[in-house]
Amino acid sequence: MRELIHFLRRNTLAMVGSGILGALLLAVLIGPFLVQSPTAIDMSAKLLPPGPGHWLGTDSFGRDMLARLVHGGRYTLAIGILVVGIAFAIGVFFGVVAGFTGGWLDTLIMRIVDAMLSFPALVLAIALAAAFGPSLENAMIAVAITMAPQFARVARSQALAVSSRLYVDAAHALGLPRRRILLRYVLINAIGPLLVQASLNVGSAILQTASLGFLGLGAQPPMPEWGADVSANLAFARSSPWTALGPGFAILLAVLSFNLIGDSLADWFNPRRRSQS
Amino acid sequence: MFAFLVRRLLSLIPVLALVLVIVFSLVRLIPGDPAVTLLGPGATDTQIAALRAQLNLDEPALLQLWHYVAGLAQGDMGVSLKSGQPVLDEVLLRLPATLEISIAAVLVAILVGTPIGVLSATRANSGFDHGVRILSLTGVSMPAFLLALLLQLVFATWLGWLPVSGRMSSYLFVDNVTGFALIDAWLSGEPGAVSSVLLHMILPVTVLAAFLAATLGRFVRATMLETLGEDYVRTARAKGLSRREVIYGHALRTSLLPAITVVGLKFAEMLGGAILTETIFSWPGIGRFMFEAIRNRDYPVIQGATLVFALLFMLTSLLVDVLYAVLDPRVRRKMK
Repeated sequence: MRELIHFLRRNTLAMVGSGILGALLLAVLIGPFLVQSPTAIDMSAKLLPPGPGHWLGTDSFGRDMLARLVHGGRYTLAIGILVVGIAFAIGVFFGVVAGFTGGWLDTLIMRIVDAMLSFPALVLAIALAAAFGPSLENAMIAVAITMAPQFARVARSQALAVSSRLYVDAAHALGLPRRRILLRYVLINAIGPLLVQASLNVGSAILQTASLGFLGLGAQPPMPEWGADVSANLAFARSSPWTALGPGFAILLAVLSFNLIGDSLADWFNPRRRSQS
Repeated sequence: MFAFLVRRLLSLIPVLALVLVIVFSLVRLIPGDPAVTLLGPGATDTQIAALRAQLNLDEPALLQLWHYVAGLAQGDMGVSLKSGQPVLDEVLLRLPATLEISIAAVLVAILVGTPIGVLSATRANSGFDHGVRILSLTGVSMPAFLLALLLQLVFATWLGWLPVSGRMSSYLFVDNVTGFALIDAWLSGEPGAVSSVLLHMILPVTVLAAFLAATLGRFVRATMLETLGEDYVRTARAKGLSRREVIYGHALRTSLLPAITVVGLKFAEMLGGAILTETIFSWPGIGRFMFEAIRNRDYPVIQGATLVFALLFMLTSLLVDVLYAVLDPRVRRKMK
């Protein structure tokens, strides 16, 4: 662990990513106490350009864009982590069960995984979210379901590799129950690459949920979610670009910070790449 | 080769069957009575009964699935609830527009991403390399709708160099022969038609290509770095070959093979991005059609478009595998 922290501290990209993420976290944790309500409408102050009083301008309802950004950031960061958490739980469960038990159950689970990976991820997420009905929760579930097969694949291959180790044989020989072997020996030893996969997926979870929000399938007004805000302000983007560009760049920064960190973590776990970076 | 192709096609059958089950289930995932949800609160009992009959909702689920698959086998994807037209006709009408910008975007991404990856690898850890890494990570992290909006603002609204949206200038009359605007414009012989289509394509193609070019650049850099450390590259250097010959004659060839897989896989993600891109640029392809269907809760169209996207993806994976087998002597030998 200490080695990992040392590696990350020497890695410029990881430091840039951590810096951006730290700043974002600070903004969404403290920011909401310093700004006005993100839903306070003031029609006398609509579409004001950035300036004193409204640092990032106002939208077509006169709502302060900075207030909407710092409040919306709470949703966005939570969405990224929650979606990956759900996908991780579903994917790892089925992946480990498939790899550990083998046989027809393995074949069935992996064929379903193959089928789900035969859809462009965003298309399947859109189709699922459209069926569930437009809401932030449904959009998150839809993105998590489309992301789960990736975890299942990694978890299965890890479980297969770990299952053939001597200590697993020894645990079988000792007569330990299968569930205990699965949790205590297989899962624990397969967790490293799965965590890297998770860190790499937070960025795309944010991106996809924001895209669903942009298409009207995610957060509904007046919730200050960034993707939905870009979409809602698109009509004013030419005359008042700050209304749509603000939340757009906020999404970019959040996704970029997670990708920079995830990318460096992947470098750490891949010795060949570690020596090159 | 033939045996490989047959085996690969056969392996697609169970996956295709499950894909059909997933697409079929989409309407059944709608909470409550799908017919009531689709028609909205003002619907009469007669209308609800008619829609239930149209979607076969009164039958047992397995029988519904059978009807759905049997219908598909005869080219019946159902009827659009909005236009009343067969979904297949509507989708086929819009497929060329999507293929047109997708294929153009793949070509642009390969032409931009590959040299950037190679240059980045041969100058590893230089300022150029760091710059490219940050730029490509930004490209991967960029929401398609933000890039589209930025390009529209800069190149269309502020500079006025390129059109904001659409497929060609409205004063041009070009017959729809192939559905591909570029080919139709060329066939029409109308002055300025081809250049108008090309100008309209630049922004949407750039948005689609950006993600793929960034991914490809990163991938080529990584594989190229690994290849440059291989024994045979050292041997080539020891033989006295020039740096240029070593990089382009030996290392690049090996590095590019896995890149084909990446292009194939990421092509699918790009198709997903087409929904956002086509919507913003009013590009009349399947992506925008699907977006409109979501707005209208037109589920047969959402199902049809989802299935077509999945089929395009499966077809691309198949093509990638075949191409890989043709190009890689190791895979070719295994097949024999």
